[in-house]
Amino acid sequence: MTESAEHPLRLEGVTHRFGRVTALDRVSLGIEDGELVTLLGPSGCGKTTLLRIIAGFMRPTEGRVVLQGRDVTRVPPHKRPVNMVFQRSTLFPHLDVFENVAFGLRIAGIPRDEMRSRVEEALALVRLEGYGPRRSHELSGGQMQRVSLARALVNRPKVLLLDEPLSALDLKIRLEMEAELRRVHRETGATFVYVTHDQREALALSDRIVVLDQGRVEQAGTPDEIYRAPASPFAARFVGNANVIPVEVVRAEDGRATVSIAGREISVPCAETTSAGAAWLVVRPEVMRLAAGSGEAMRGVVRDLAFRGAGYSYHVEVSGLSEPVKAEVPAGVGAPFGVGSEVAVTWDLNASGLLPREG
Amino acid sequence: MESTQRSPVTAAITLAALVFLFLPLAVLVLFSFHSTGGLSFPFQGFSLRWYREVFGSNEFRSAVLTSLWVALPASGATLVLGTLAAYGLSRSSSRLRGPLALLFFLPITLPGLFLGVSLVVFFSRIDFTLSLKTVVIAHLVYVFPYFLLIARAALDRLDPALEEAAADLGASPVRVFRRVTLPQIWPLLVGATCLAFALSFDEFIITFFVIGSDSTLPLLIWSRLRRTIDPSLNVISTLLLALSLALWIVAFVLTLRSERRRARSLTEAV
Repeated sequence: MTESAEHPLRLEGVTHRFGRVTALDRVSLGIEDGELVTLLGPSGCGKTTLLRIIAGFMRPTEGRVVLQGRDVTRVPPHKRPVNMVFQRSTLFPHLDVFENVAFGLRIAGIPRDEMRSRVEEALALVRLEGYGPRRSHELSGGQMQRVSLARALVNRPKVLLLDEPLSALDLKIRLEMEAELRRVHRETGATFVYVTHDQREALALSDRIVVLDQGRVEQAGTPDEIYRAPASPFAARFVGNANVIPVEVVRAEDGRATVSIAGREISVPCAETTSAGAAWLVVRPEVMRLAAGSGEAMRGVVRDLAFRGAGYSYHVEVSGLSEPVKAEVPAGVGAPFGVGSEVAVTWDLNASGLLPREG
Repeated sequence: MESTQRSPVTAAITLAALVFLFLPLAVLVLFSFHSTGGLSFPFQGFSLRWYREVFGSNEFRSAVLTSLWVALPASGATLVLGTLAAYGLSRSSSRLRGPLALLFFLPITLPGLFLGVSLVVFFSRIDFTLSLKTVVIAHLVYVFPYFLLIARAALDRLDPALEEAAADLGASPVRVFRRVTLPQIWPLLVGATCLAFALSFDEFIITFFVIGSDSTLPLLIWSRLRRTIDPSLNVISTLLLALSLALWIVAFVLTLRSERRRARSLTEAV
């Protein structure tokens, strides 16, 4: 077995340009067997372009797509052992559910008996036994996406591609479908590449998340790594909506740095490589604490609050900081602070991180 | 959209316009059933006499065959070429699509007279003897843009993602067309072919220029008009009317059906 055969899917320096716009910039990625990898990023970050390049609908300007050791960069989509679940329903309206699921098998010339049993199996996998004779217009949005999933998985693809398959669904159905996807992934052991702009969905589903921004991989890692140790200000903001505050490192030694923020100095943990100069301080909103009264702490004024059920989301304007501080405070501890209240802003300094900042 | 006040004047004008449009047709059909040779009121009783005469006439039968001989290949060729052209147009780069479509649709604006004359000149230039073949070619030129208009509308409204999904499931481009594209657009294509057939069957001006010694049904009516005027002309015209009407209805029903199916699948998808 060669080194490359270990990855069911490998991307090597994939670059794509639309005219002058670079949609993907040297994306390299190896996907492990049976892994559920999420390509996460805002719209326009290149994640869908990347997925379409893997599926074969687009050819990259540069770079290679390698499926199980075979370079498929120039292979048309119908000859690639991958299948896709699209964002909107793409069920064939002139065929019933059974025939939709059987489509790939019929094309592949699978014998009738085997085809029948594989279609039944696939429908059972997505919990739609007995739906075979239905037409797509008789299904709900969630059921349509389940059929699409069955239609793709029935072909036993080397890699299953999912292009924001839940984004058109209602929140409640979406949460149900997330659980279904996790179960289907566990039961099939297939390799999934999942595209989404929803960080919550990515955190809930993935074995590994690849954060994309402006066509570049910002960070790749487990959901836990990305959430707790974002590698860039973008990743920190996009995953978990963190406060990313420009600060100056006064000095750094032995894994702790003294930084100056809003006119005061605090001590936070840092990497060994951190040196004095400009930096980003990253603090998650749920670490932030608000308190009434005065004291040594940083002070601010509540500019906005929203009730989230389990707690409140605050925006607090702190003098000396260009952007309001975001804080998630659990409900139930006293009355919430109203808009305009003066509050003291504190947080567990050990739960904050430092990232290098240019200039 | 909805007019809350209906003026009696509007209603009267509408009624007058409808009468003006349909009364001559009604009179023509009525007199095809006339028991005597007269073509003016008073109406002297019903009879199928003229129908019997027309169906018994060799001249009529050979004209029907000639018209079929022209309309069938012309509409058949239009179906194939028009579908290919529409497919090509819908898949061509957006920069080429506009100018190409313009070139394809432009013949609609050409007067029949102009088309007839230019085709005669063209055929004589290339030493192509005028015959029913030239009529088929001329009709193809004439009905093609009408067909393309409908076929293109049908293809433009197809969701390209369905074809991508089919390709993703392993279907080659030919199979995608046969198993996914065609099953969705065939009712509209058949409808458009019916229209092409009706247009070709009724066509007079261009045919008049490019036909050799044969006679299609419209030409038969025209030549008969010059000799005698009797209800047999009404019979032929009525038959032509009935055929056209039937074809238009088929086309309309097919369009409506695919439209409904589309609307249904769209509303359910949202």
